[in-house]
Amino acid sequence: MNMLEVPLEIFRYKEGEPPHHDTFTVQVPETAHVIDAIDAVWAMHDRSLVFRRACHHSSCGSCSLRVNGVEMLPCITRVKDVWDGRAPLRLDPLRNFPVVSDLVVDLSSFFQRMSAAEMTITCDAESSLPLSVDDFAVSKIPSRAVELPVNLSRFNRFENCIECAICMSACPTMATDEKFFGPAALAAIFRARQKTDSPADVAHLLSLADGEHGVWRCHSAFECTAACPQAVDPAGKIMALRRELITRRFKKR
Amino acid sequence: MATLNYSRIRRTGRWVDVRRRKLGMWAYALNRITGIGLVVYLYLHLGVLSMLAHGQSSWDSFTALARSPFYLALDVILLAIILIHGLNGIRVALTGFDIGVRVQKRLFVILMLIAAAALVVAAAKIFAV
Amino acid sequence: MRSPQVLIVGAGSTGAATAHDLALRGFRVTVIERGEVASGTTGRNHCLLHSGGRYCVTDHESAIECIDENLILRKIMPDLLELNDGLFVAISESDLAFKERFLEGCATCHIPARDIPVKEVLAMEPFLNPGVLAAIQVPDGVFEPFRFCLAFLATARLHGADVRTYSEVIGFVRSTNCVTGVKVQDRRTGKSETIGADLVVNAAGPWAAEIAAKAGVRIPEVPTAGVMVALDCRLNNMVVNRLNKPSDGDIVVPQRATSVIGTTSWVVENPDLISIPPEHVARMIRQGEQLLPEVRNAPMRAKMAVARPLIARPGEDARQVSRTFECFDHASDGVNGFITIAGGKTTTARAMAERVADIVCKKLDVDTPCTTRELPLASYRLFYQ
Repeated sequence: MNMLEVPLEIFRYKEGEPPHHDTFTVQVPETAHVIDAIDAVWAMHDRSLVFRRACHHSSCGSCSLRVNGVEMLPCITRVKDVWDGRAPLRLDPLRNFPVVSDLVVDLSSFFQRMSAAEMTITCDAESSLPLSVDDFAVSKIPSRAVELPVNLSRFNRFENCIECAICMSACPTMATDEKFFGPAALAAIFRARQKTDSPADVAHLLSLADGEHGVWRCHSAFECTAACPQAVDPAGKIMALRRELITRRFKKR
Repeated sequence: MATLNYSRIRRTGRWVDVRRRKLGMWAYALNRITGIGLVVYLYLHLGVLSMLAHGQSSWDSFTALARSPFYLALDVILLAIILIHGLNGIRVALTGFDIGVRVQKRLFVILMLIAAAALVVAAAKIFAV
Repeated sequence: MRSPQVLIVGAGSTGAATAHDLALRGFRVTVIERGEVASGTTGRNHCLLHSGGRYCVTDHESAIECIDENLILRKIMPDLLELNDGLFVAISESDLAFKERFLEGCATCHIPARDIPVKEVLAMEPFLNPGVLAAIQVPDGVFEPFRFCLAFLATARLHGADVRTYSEVIGFVRSTNCVTGVKVQDRRTGKSETIGADLVVNAAGPWAAEIAAKAGVRIPEVPTAGVMVALDCRLNNMVVNRLNKPSDGDIVVPQRATSVIGTTSWVVENPDLISIPPEHVARMIRQGEQLLPEVRNAPMRAKMAVARPLIARPGEDARQVSRTFECFDHASDGVNGFITIAGGKTTTARAMAERVADIVCKKLDVDTPCTTRELPLASYRLFYQ
């Protein structure tokens, strides 16, 4: 197994001290993911490094950060895919949220908005396999139809969105308007709206989207959709909400 | 607990940072910059038109200036700004109503190619004056 | 009179469920976790909500506990589960020979099991090995361990618990032969403080021995790691298990848009940094291919490894509460006010917490029953608000 000697420049911040970047060099296997390099820094070099992670397979959404300025999940990003072999890998926390320490940001405002969107994280599943968030992954595997087992009324699965807040960090409107609901929360409103029939719930969700800091604040940068590791397409969902809001305005006349 | 609002660029300037960003973000930043450019131009234009109120000689000296190569170059830049903002604006308007969202990148490229072509033709005509 | 203060070290499934139970019983609870919630063993688990089928032949007690808890979790966290059932499939003759005992085991352990004709199962799971010889459907499910822990902790917080993440226990406060508190360093600021407690519960998983050592106590813990491979696509709707005695790489757990093949087992020196052996990854792919041949064409999305907190010599020092986990009361080591919990699986975390909370009640002379079987958990999102 070949090893890589990877230099990392990691953002550091502890209360009362000025923020700065620390440089470390770690040895990781060539098949390592970025999270393995961060683990190596903490385990072998600096125990004071604070960072988030839990599942290591893009289901919890907790490890999100920026590598060389671009938002991604280090648990599914291989070192070889982001490292040019020479310059240090620069790790920074997400943008648009207050930094708690090092690579950890305060996501309370994010989760407040996700709660307000009231999207349940499970939904009805597709009736064909394979499923993937990566087009390329499934392009080689022909899809097959699936039959439900007799005792199940439906298949279900978790929503694509893992609440990693990458889209919130990438969004330029989030950078300029603190109260903007944000792509993840607006996409969640769209999903919640799709999953309910109750007119009262629909009206409530649409009024949230229609609000002062809702869908109309989006300026079509589409950065959220580009950065999302789970193919949620928040920009598309924001536009779909707009379409519905406009259609309803016309119908009322 | 105390947190840090960390940004290397002040909050209002953060949208300008297009380093390592995707096409949609470039379109957004371009639209904003050209928009500011158009607002600035509007004031300039009104200022120029106000010269009409100052009589024939004032206007004549302006039109002489307006034929200088430097000024014609500014005109081409202005045209570029109008084309970029206007054509991208069509894309923003369409996608904003959930039309063509899936092809927004292609749309941007095509519209900017049209803008470039129109600009080349127009620039040739402007400098032929 | 103020209610007793319990301090729990570790916010994995053990710590989270125990904090929840104790908070509901009126204890003042503080959870100290050095990383993010579930950043240790629990976070990287296989996400399988056991039906108990895996143990129904070899370990009846575990199997029954699994199916009982499976049904309880469906009630208390219904929106946090993928409930598509699971299959135990026979690929080889040896698997087929196991079927009889498996069905008997399910019946004995009251695990609903349905023997499915091969044609039907291939329609239900089109990517299953077409050479499948038999299949049995059981009520397996899938959860996310991170949100699982968040939900327990959010509920605990609503009942007054204080959860401190990024805080590390750096020492114990002792008075003669009793632990009266811990010294904690807030890793976000570097500052330390002392927190008093009537009882400290060590739920630090594979780091429990390290924590216990700080109190001068030895635990015969053997951190045992396992590798899992997550594919870039989901090839099965239902959990697919090999119909045989438990072995490496015999389960493929689907979740969201991935299928996760696991797992292996080897002892590790340092649970802080585990190097994933490439042979283990290759073995997972090979085993997975036997169940779902298309695994060989599916790109890999991620691989994870973490240490399980296994105990070397069960029974000697430990008070064995059940076959599934152990509780060490260090009073017998001369250190009062300090207990360690080891073992267990996330599926049965609530049951484990119930028994630990009963022990805590007895030690602190409190008589409040458990209410965690019925109470639906609060939204996991509330943890961060």
